Amino acid sequence: MKRYHLIIRFLPLFLLSLGGCKKMLDIDSSRTVKEENMWNALEDTRAGLMGIYGLTKAALDDNNAYWLYGEVRSGDFESPNRQDLKAIIKNDLKANYESLGALSNWRRWFAVVNAANIFMERAPEVRAKDLRYTENNLVVDVAQARFLRAYAYFNMVRIWGDVPLILNSHDGNFENKAREDRLKIYAWIEKEMFEAAQLLPYSYSTGDEQQIGNYYNEASSRWSGALVRKLSAYAILAHLAAWQANYADAAAYTQFIMDNYSKGGAYYLSTSFLTDGNGFFFEKRSEQMFSFPYIWAHVEASFTGHIEELTLASPVVSKSVPDIYMPKETILKTFNEKKDQRFSIDTLGNPNTEVYFRNFNSKYPIFSKIKCIMGGSSDPTFRIFTSATILTRLEDITLLRAEALAVLGEKSTAIELLNEIRERRGLKVYSETVNGDLIDAIFLERKRELMGEGHRWYDMIRREKIKHDNPQLAGLIANDGIYWPIAKEILAQNKLIAQNSYWK
Amino acid sequence: MYMIKKRCLSGLVVLGWSCTCCSLVSGQDNKQLSPSDSLKLQIGTVKLDSVFQIKTSQVNPIEIKKRSLLPYTSLQQYLKGNNTGLHVTEPSGEPGTKQPMYFRGVSRPLLSDIDVFQNQPLVVVDGIPLVGEHPFAYAVQTYDLERIGPATNLFANINIDMVKSIEVLKDVAAMAMYGPNAANGAIVVQTKEPKADKTNRIAVNMYTGLAQRPQVTTINGEYENRFRKQFYDLYTSNGRYDDGDSYPIYLSDSLNMNYFGQSDWTDSYYNNGLVYNLNANLSGGGPRANFQFAAGSTQDKGVADKVKLNKYYALFGLNMRPLTWLTFSMQANISRLDRNRNLNMRDRFAQLAYFPDLSAPLSPNKEVYNEYLSYYKKGFDNNKTNVVQGYGKLQLDFGNFHFLTTGMVDYNEGYRDQFYHSKLMESNNFASNYYGYNQRAIFDNKAYYDWKIDDKNSLNLLIGNSLQWDTYRYNYAYAYKGVNDFIKVNLLEDDPLKSNYLEATAYPKALIFKFLDRIRHNLVSFYGRANYNYDKKVDVSLLLRTDGSSNAQPDARWIFTPSLSANWNIKNSYFVSDNSLKDLTARFSVGRIGVSNVFDDFAQGPNYVAQMGFTGNQLIAGYNAIAGLVRPYESGWVGYNIPWAYTDQANLGIDYAIQKRNIHVSLDVYLKQTKNQLINIPSYSEYGYKSSYMAGMDVQNTGVELTVGLDPIQSDRFKWSTALNVSHNQNKLKALPNDLEQLVMGNSLLEVGKSLDQYWLLSNTGIYKTDAEVPQGMTYNSIQLRAGDPIWKDQNGDNRIDDSDRTLQGHRLPLLFGNWSNNFVFGKWDLGINMYYNIGRELINQEMVTRFDFINNEGAKKLDAIKEVTYWEKRGDYSKYPLYNPWSSVIPYQADQDLFLENASFLKIRAITLGYDLTSLLGGRQQRIQRAYAYVSANNVATITSYSGVDPEIVDYTGYDIGSKMRIPRIYTLGIKVDF
Repeated sequence: MKRYHLIIRFLPLFLLSLGGCKKMLDIDSSRTVKEENMWNALEDTRAGLMGIYGLTKAALDDNNAYWLYGEVRSGDFESPNRQDLKAIIKNDLKANYESLGALSNWRRWFAVVNAANIFMERAPEVRAKDLRYTENNLVVDVAQARFLRAYAYFNMVRIWGDVPLILNSHDGNFENKAREDRLKIYAWIEKEMFEAAQLLPYSYSTGDEQQIGNYYNEASSRWSGALVRKLSAYAILAHLAAWQANYADAAAYTQFIMDNYSKGGAYYLSTSFLTDGNGFFFEKRSEQMFSFPYIWAHVEASFTGHIEELTLASPVVSKSVPDIYMPKETILKTFNEKKDQRFSIDTLGNPNTEVYFRNFNSKYPIFSKIKCIMGGSSDPTFRIFTSATILTRLEDITLLRAEALAVLGEKSTAIELLNEIRERRGLKVYSETVNGDLIDAIFLERKRELMGEGHRWYDMIRREKIKHDNPQLAGLIANDGIYWPIAKEILAQNKLIAQNSYWK
Repeated sequence: MYMIKKRCLSGLVVLGWSCTCCSLVSGQDNKQLSPSDSLKLQIGTVKLDSVFQIKTSQVNPIEIKKRSLLPYTSLQQYLKGNNTGLHVTEPSGEPGTKQPMYFRGVSRPLLSDIDVFQNQPLVVVDGIPLVGEHPFAYAVQTYDLERIGPATNLFANINIDMVKSIEVLKDVAAMAMYGPNAANGAIVVQTKEPKADKTNRIAVNMYTGLAQRPQVTTINGEYENRFRKQFYDLYTSNGRYDDGDSYPIYLSDSLNMNYFGQSDWTDSYYNNGLVYNLNANLSGGGPRANFQFAAGSTQDKGVADKVKLNKYYALFGLNMRPLTWLTFSMQANISRLDRNRNLNMRDRFAQLAYFPDLSAPLSPNKEVYNEYLSYYKKGFDNNKTNVVQGYGKLQLDFGNFHFLTTGMVDYNEGYRDQFYHSKLMESNNFASNYYGYNQRAIFDNKAYYDWKIDDKNSLNLLIGNSLQWDTYRYNYAYAYKGVNDFIKVNLLEDDPLKSNYLEATAYPKALIFKFLDRIRHNLVSFYGRANYNYDKKVDVSLLLRTDGSSNAQPDARWIFTPSLSANWNIKNSYFVSDNSLKDLTARFSVGRIGVSNVFDDFAQGPNYVAQMGFTGNQLIAGYNAIAGLVRPYESGWVGYNIPWAYTDQANLGIDYAIQKRNIHVSLDVYLKQTKNQLINIPSYSEYGYKSSYMAGMDVQNTGVELTVGLDPIQSDRFKWSTALNVSHNQNKLKALPNDLEQLVMGNSLLEVGKSLDQYWLLSNTGIYKTDAEVPQGMTYNSIQLRAGDPIWKDQNGDNRIDDSDRTLQGHRLPLLFGNWSNNFVFGKWDLGINMYYNIGRELINQEMVTRFDFINNEGAKKLDAIKEVTYWEKRGDYSKYPLYNPWSSVIPYQADQDLFLENASFLKIRAITLGYDLTSLLGGRQQRIQRAYAYVSANNVATITSYSGVDPEIVDYTGYDIGSKMRIPRIYTLGIKVDF
């Protein structure tokens, strides 16, 4: 009898184990956030917004793309032994290198677009669910998302020409889209950026009338230079207009910045601040009109995603040969004026200053204008870098305005603006007899001042459109050869997309 | 009485056994039991692990006794070649490294280590399905060369001297008993049980031996210079290809003795290694209570970099039967595995994610190389793994009704502590600590009923339920640039009064990177089984089970799977009196097993993750030091409606054995279709996604397995037994999601109707000697081909070479593999020769790719560009490759062309053993010594292959032989086994 008694005791235990299983099978992953747990609170919109920024930074800096597109392709630099960079310099953009494949792929920019689309669709839900999330916070957040989405498109049209224009997240119902005429996208970007500009503050957590209170409960030091602001939007609007050779608009947008830059905490930089290892390029600063920082103290330093990875070598860092260098002749042709604080040589041919170039007289002059090594130190042993990816600054806008006014015929103001920069760099005021044509002088000044900041390739194209003196570049412009080929992964996935005509 | 039992039970639930329980019940040992009723048999008859008693005596035996003589340290090495259907890889000769296995092919393409993990068969030790090491840690690694942590082969914990049997299950219903854990097959290991005859026994096995240093030809800078000069002579006029071209400095100065002097680095790199093993086991007790205890230590050493594995292990088992109807047994198996790892720069820099200036490789000169090595000695790289497996079982027998409850735990934890001296990396030191565990707990209940209907018909019914909790976790941190080379750990400020309390003091805070992650998976299963036997002629078994996984989506949490198996003993049916026929049996089984997801993301549906990184800087989780959340653009979109994947398998086998010459033949054919699998397909680029997980990949594996054995010579004095086994497998992709016909994944092409394990290559037919030879307008990826470029076959005749001219060629996995063993017995002597072969397998000789593509590798920041010290070893056959223009942007020496595809078929003489039975020599004490046996063995004796590289076997799942993997050593041992 005892035995059967025992069976009875065991059966409930057995059945018990059946009951607990539903609970056992519902596990919330500790590695991902599922749909129900997102878009409920202030912290979710903050995470979503930071996500868009993070993705933009990744799109800019993946494979050092920003500098390969903007600097290396211009041909001003040479590469001693990186065959992929040599191919870019030769405009052999379909060459069989992994990095070139990545540079031909626009996916990372569409991640920015998609994240911004989701944000704009979902953030208003949080407004309803979390009282801490104010209307003003929502407006400022959405303005940033709109701007970043438009900025992503601005990059894409400059790199690939026509691209698909996708303005919804299509979450879960992804459909292939064909490319949209770039002219239409230009107009759309301008409208988006302009509207965002009206809603963006000059700065955050500083009592700006368009951004009330401490933004996400963080003090102004947290946000300084890290987020897009009104001036960032106007600066990119000016670039967009200039890119379309719409210099009237470029003049108008730059005018706004010239009138208001002090409100945004932007100032003209001294040469030493510009070139210091812990100067302008280091960390986040309000002078960085639009930038993506890598903050040392927050463990954001990285081995890649910085121009230093390409340009620096011994003696600045312990690496024998740089990935890219500027040949001596090019340097001398560019810095052809005496007393230039950035670079000039004395009568014996020795450099007067080493802030832009080190080892000038060796085989590989080291372009070292930007050199944020670790926490802004000069220790050459560890090649981890912290320079921010700077997209524009006041000097850029000043010269862009000079360019616009020069084209529009307002020479005297243009010269004034040009001299604004020249004088700060130790140069004499512009004189046509010494410095030649004004447009050329402005572009040469841009080349010197913004060297290594990813502008050069686009400057060359704008200049060619004005000057028509480089048949090779004119040919590229005419045949859409200034655009990059589209990665084969993209073409394989989306049959509505055809290869850029030049690269067929 | 009742109270005591209850305590017993509760003790079991948490998997322990209480001493009270033990001592109280031992007093019950007064009722006499008949010998047949002994403990061991009682548990043995449960037969839970295979549906029928398949006669392993003749077919597919792992000859445990023979194996245990060889200096193997992992289960995989014991299994290699010995079982049909199971392909064991040994991608490195470094002791203690992982050795993936594939049972009856692969059910998904091997594109990453995660795919390898998802193809691994289950290993069951004494009923415990082992948990393995989860590959989720790869998420924080820039390169997936080796998983962070000790990355030790967890199956190195098996102590072969304690193993009674190893069976690779082929019966689908038997596999299905383990549910989704066994979707890729099951390897069932049974450890020995105590004899339970009231005698205490001791068995000892020991060997010692030597891993022999290989002899190689070394080269120096002069050799490399001569090699490169050919290209400069052909394609340059002044030694420079273009203005920017630069010749590497280390090769430029022929007076530099570091590179142009003596190349004798091998003296310091290669070494002889001492291997040994000593283990003993003790068992005793009677039918009512018995025990066993085993302990041992093994050292396995490689032949380079002083790599080694040290194992220390212990096993304790206890069976008790306090009441005639109550049996309790428990066993715990504990191992410690310590590993000295290789000093490859490749592995180190992959982990550091930092590439120092690679323009000057290691010197081939011993003095210089020794100085380099001396800095390793000033640091450490400790790799420790602890593995614990244990179970507690309580069985209740009430006549024909039995109840078995089992608690099982498998836990393994790994530690890796590293410190690299600053001289090893441009005066930056590096410290890292890893701790991680993988844990599985199972609570399983079974009730079964034996029903002998009449003399001829019997039925066994079983129902059961199993709950399984898996948890995987790790903490990992690393830091660069400590203050000096004496503080080798990450010190924190310990004074709570200081403002920097708990902040790092030795390493800069901004250069300390920390990670932790956890993933869980729970599995709930219910199953029922009926076994029917008719007159020892026919066995039929039907298993029905339903499994719920926490990694399945909530609306598709459960999967129901049936399986059926039948045995027809033809001998018992028709030839029962024919004594010359030993066995003739036909076996058939068919069934379905669910395949659970490995990651928990899939259960969540669309989700948000902290992935904002980019190439070379993957681990960005936020912006401006604030966490960010984005869609999984990098890892892939996960949608809804993800169903369970499952595998449908059918097996038909026949076993035949006759008395004459002991001939035995066993033949199996199988069909395995794995369906509805998830695959991460590149898609939705215009929505930012790199890829999307889609269900619907179907893969079919078919194959034939044959074992033939006979004793060609059987005489009293001399006996020769020989056995050959052959496994053939062919995999085929049957369907892709969304009715895709083909899919490009990295450098692989998956095409419906074709094999999964093929290379996707251009066909090379020569060299264009002049521009004029290039057909008008012929391009490669829109680049004009020129003199010095390869002639790649234009497969589709469109005058363009691009991906559409790549074809599927070769196989990463062998079409045929197996072994051939011979055993000769002459009096007290016996000689065994074991040969292992792979046929129909190819690999890409990546090492030669790297050598010939020197232009793209010199100074490049990539793993392939790293020159190990073995760069100074002459390898490969240079004459096989034409002299292309290495500067050409078509990359003439790219790996993905048939120029570098080589036949990797081989035949190895894997082991030769010679033994002598000493028992009668020591006969004076026959009572005490039951058996004594002395033996010598030689391992990895010779390889016959046409492969031009080091060893066609040492290549990982990618099939690209990078050349830096360690050789499998040739080991000679001398040993003795004594049973008291």
